[in-house]
Amino acid sequence: MVATKSRHQDVFEAISHLARRQMLDLLTDAERPVSDIAAHFSMSRPAVSQHLRILLDAGLVSEQRHGRERRYRLVPERLAPVRDWLGHYERFWDDRLARLQQLLAKKNKK
Amino acid sequence: MTKSIRRELQIPQPPAQVWHAITDRATLAEWMYPNDFEPRVGHRFTFHVPPNPKVKFEGLVVRCEVLECEPPQEKAGGRLAFSWSAGALADSQVSFHLELDGNGTRLLFEHSGFDDSQPFGEQAFKGAEYGWAKMLKQLTAVMAGPAAEHN
Repeated sequence: MVATKSRHQDVFEAISHLARRQMLDLLTDAERPVSDIAAHFSMSRPAVSQHLRILLDAGLVSEQRHGRERRYRLVPERLAPVRDWLGHYERFWDDRLARLQQLLAKKNKK
Repeated sequence: MTKSIRRELQIPQPPAQVWHAITDRATLAEWMYPNDFEPRVGHRFTFHVPPNPKVKFEGLVVRCEVLECEPPQEKAGGRLAFSWSAGALADSQVSFHLELDGNGTRLLFEHSGFDDSQPFGEQAFKGAEYGWAKMLKQLTAVMAGPAAEHN
């Protein structure tokens, strides 16, 4: 059984680090043991584990124990909010258009 | 299936002023980002979204090409449209349609071409430069940054 860790870790924050995004990319192909993941990075093994812990806490990966080995697997559903481009862009444009209106109002006053 | 974002704004300023704000490079940079826009169909330009170390955002380049560029006339409305490619969002379209509305302007904005049928993985995930994550961070950065100051 996969232990449920705290899900307080923010998904957005979890993917804000390049190494963690690369880890997620690695896991799109297959589930992998830590050693396999670590082999792709120059950082220390504990550092890799720490990044995996953050991904785990965000629910972006799950952990399975196979004997002494722990394997990590991507949980693609958790990326739904990230992939919501439309929602992000809506906020983006609402913000930009508000700026446009403010700019016009300001220039008009001069 | 593709989706789009539509907005309709009533702006007190006349179309000519709004047109200037969306087609003048320097003014465009004030409410969007640094760019090399030119009001000419076929012109390729970019918006440079600057890095924001506070949120570990590395910066982003949005690639665009002017598709339509018709300044507002005495009677007819104006229309500006350009393609928008950033990260894994390729070839979407942004358009501004200006109509005279009393002494002011009705601005119809649309950003179309969001393909939500694309399966997870492939391009979205393996896309050049982790585009999806960058784009996300851009928007997060924007919202956390100067964006909030107008309230």
